[in-house]
Parts: sequence; C-alpha cells; structure tokens
Amino acid sequence: MPAETHLERGPLGPDDVLAIIREQLSEILEIDDSRVVREARFSEDLAADSLALIELVEVLEQELGERTVGFSVDDEDLADLKTVGDAVDYVVSRLDAGKMSA
Amino acid sequence: MKTCTVAIDAMGGDRAPGEIVAGALRAVDELGVRVTLVGRQEEVAPLLPSPAPEGVSVLDARDVIAMDDEPVSAVRKKKDSSVVRCAQAVRDGAADAMVSAGNTGAAMASALLRMGRVKGVVRPAIAVVLPVPGHHPQILIDAGASTDASPEWLFQFALMGREYAQVRLALDEPRIGLLSIGEEPGKGDELRKHAHTLLSELPGFVGNVEGRDFMHPEVDVVVTDGFTGNVALKTAEGALRSLASVVFGVFESSPEAKAAGEVVIPKLLEAAETYDPDLTGGAVLLGVGGVCVISHGASSSLAILKAVGVAADCVAADVPTRVREAVAGAG
Repeated sequence: MPAETHLERGPLGPDDVLAIIREQLSEILEIDDSRVVREARFSEDLAADSLALIELVEVLEQELGERTVGFSVDDEDLADLKTVGDAVDYVVSRLDAGKMSA
Repeated sequence: MKTCTVAIDAMGGDRAPGEIVAGALRAVDELGVRVTLVGRQEEVAPLLPSPAPEGVSVLDARDVIAMDDEPVSAVRKKKDSSVVRCAQAVRDGAADAMVSAGNTGAAMASALLRMGRVKGVVRPAIAVVLPVPGHHPQILIDAGASTDASPEWLFQFALMGREYAQVRLALDEPRIGLLSIGEEPGKGDELRKHAHTLLSELPGFVGNVEGRDFMHPEVDVVVTDGFTGNVALKTAEGALRSLASVVFGVFESSPEAKAAGEVVIPKLLEAAETYDPDLTGGAVLLGVGGVCVISHGASSSLAILKAVGVAADCVAADVPTRVREAVAGAG
C-alpha cells in the first residue's frame, strides 16, 4: 500500500498498521501473509531473525516517515517487541507521539 | 560493453585507507575497471596520484564503521558511513558492485538493507572460496551470514552456491555436498536430515559430506548453515596455523634440521601460498540485489585487487539475476 494512499485515508489506526506490517513482513520472510496475525511471535512462529526485523523497520520508517515527519523506531526498543501485535501497538504509539509533537 | 564500476569501501579494514586505495589503483590499471573510492575525502584524496588516474573517483562519506561496532545498529545509525554509501551507490546505479574489507556484518547488513534481497530468497548467504591443493577451489556456503537456518534456507543456499560455482569455478555441474556428521542420509540433526531430503532433488547433489572433506576435491560446493560454516572455516584456519607452527618448529630442533630447513623452507613457503587469503578474492554475499564482495580484515592491496576482480566477474555474469532465476525455477 503506497504512502500516498494512506494520506488520502486520514489517520492510521491499528488495523491499517497491521495491514502494512502484514504486507511488508510476508514479503521479507517470503511467507503467506495469512500467517502474519497479531498473536504471531516473531521468532517462534515466523522465524524472523533480528536482520529481518531491521528490514521491516527500515521499510516502515520509509513508508510511514512520509506520513509522520521524523517517524522512527529506536533499535533498543526492538528487543521488547515479541509479537506482531506488539509491533502494531508500538508503531501506532510512535505515530501518535509524532502527531502530538508536530 | 559498459566498463564495470566498483564502489570500494576505502575506510574498511585494518590497513585502510592506504592498502585499499593502492589495491583500487592496481585494479584500474590491471583489470580496466572504474573504481569509486568511498570514504573521507581528506584521507583518501592525498593517497591518489595527481592528477587522479582516469577511472578513479572519490565519494565523500563522513562516518566510519569500526571492526568492533555492532553491525546492524551501526548501519542504522551511521547512514553516511563508507560501507553504507557503497551499498547505496550500487542501489542507485552509480556503481555495479561493492567491495569492503571492513566489518563483515556491517557490509552484509548494508548490502541487505540498501540493495534489498533477491525476490524469492529468504536469507542471504556468504560464499567463500577454499583452496584445494592441486585442484580447482571449493566453495563453502554459508560462511556466516544466516545462522538459525531452516531446511528450506539450506536448499536455497545450495541453489545459490551452485550458480556461483558455475560462474566462479567454471563448472557445468558442480558437485554439491551437505555438511553433516556422517555420509549416510540419516546422519545429522533434524535440520540436516530434512535438508538432505529437499536436496536430493537438486542436480549435482552428492549427499552428505564431513568436515574432513573441507579443501579436498571430493565435492565442489559445501552447504551448511551460517553458524556451522563460520565455525568450520575458523577451525580450518586454526588447524592450518597450528600445523604450520609444528612444521616450522621442526626446523629449529637441531643443527641438522636447521640446515635442512634452509633447503626446504623456501619450498614450503611457496606451497603455503595456496592458502594465502589475499589470493582468494574475498567472499561474495549471495541473495542480495547487487554484487557485494567482502574481503578479509587484514586485506593488502593484492587482496583488494583480487576482490575487485571477483566483483567484476560477478557483474559480468549477472550473478544476482542468476540467483533470482534459480530460486524462481525451484518454485
């Protein structure tokens, strides 16, 4: 989903972020996107290693950075993100924080 | 035909930038390639003859990733580092390939994050060329890129290693072995057993091989996960160093041995060149969307010259496209 489409749709909610993560992570891991659900654990269920997660972060920063200026992910926070749901909630909170400071 | 341009990480390696720049200049002179030296302008430019030879340019990059930096984090934070800018140059089409003798993990992460993965490839793998005395070399894949491998990853490593062996060793049908703890298909852990089943369909697969088949002509490509591959590679290096120490120690053991050494040692040193890491041309990161050659940390100008040669060969053979087609063809 290109960033321009998001702009036309207004603020991103958890479902939108999940859709973006699902699309990007399934491409990175070469897996069916139906496996990327909120409950899925990165390591145990999806076999996503740290490099795969960094790939995801870079794509998200690129895509969402166009929407929320300065959107970024702290590498130190990655260790706390165990599931897809954790990542969705984290991204939503960072987007909200970005809006507040804008 | 377009002249190949190689982006060289001028700040990467124990002997950078001096040996790196010297190797780049040799590559322009001896291989007819163009090079872009990426690094701090004020440190690189003074090492060039004036005027700079045709085919040599400098791309200023302010940051340097040290050998002991945590690779992924450094690549994320030091976006203006020489190695990241090399990968970016390939991604943007300013260069056809990159060469780095710096932090291996950083070169790998830079290539992966900037060039992207080849469509269909799950994880990249490092292919290393191992010398085989009196025979063409052998390829080890993966030598350390992707550690927690699945059987499917090993299958893809074999596909990529096969393509690379066809290019680098000029073999029509390389013999591929799966590194395990016994030759029988049932030997090894679950990863190896499952991988053996998948690989049995692959042309050229000869079955399991053992550590003792390293640097021996029984097999052309040794396939394993990155953790095992790196341990095996370092073990072989350590064993060779230990053996050399024993052999050369013998010539110090008595006046007679010392006299014999005066005759034999020059021949032994000549033979030892087979194992000179400067001559192997570096390791190639396979599965990323461009050509990335990683030379060893203590690279001399000769090592850089050889690494640039490998990079140019991989560009000419379009290794990334070969990998993509091989992976796509395997479904």
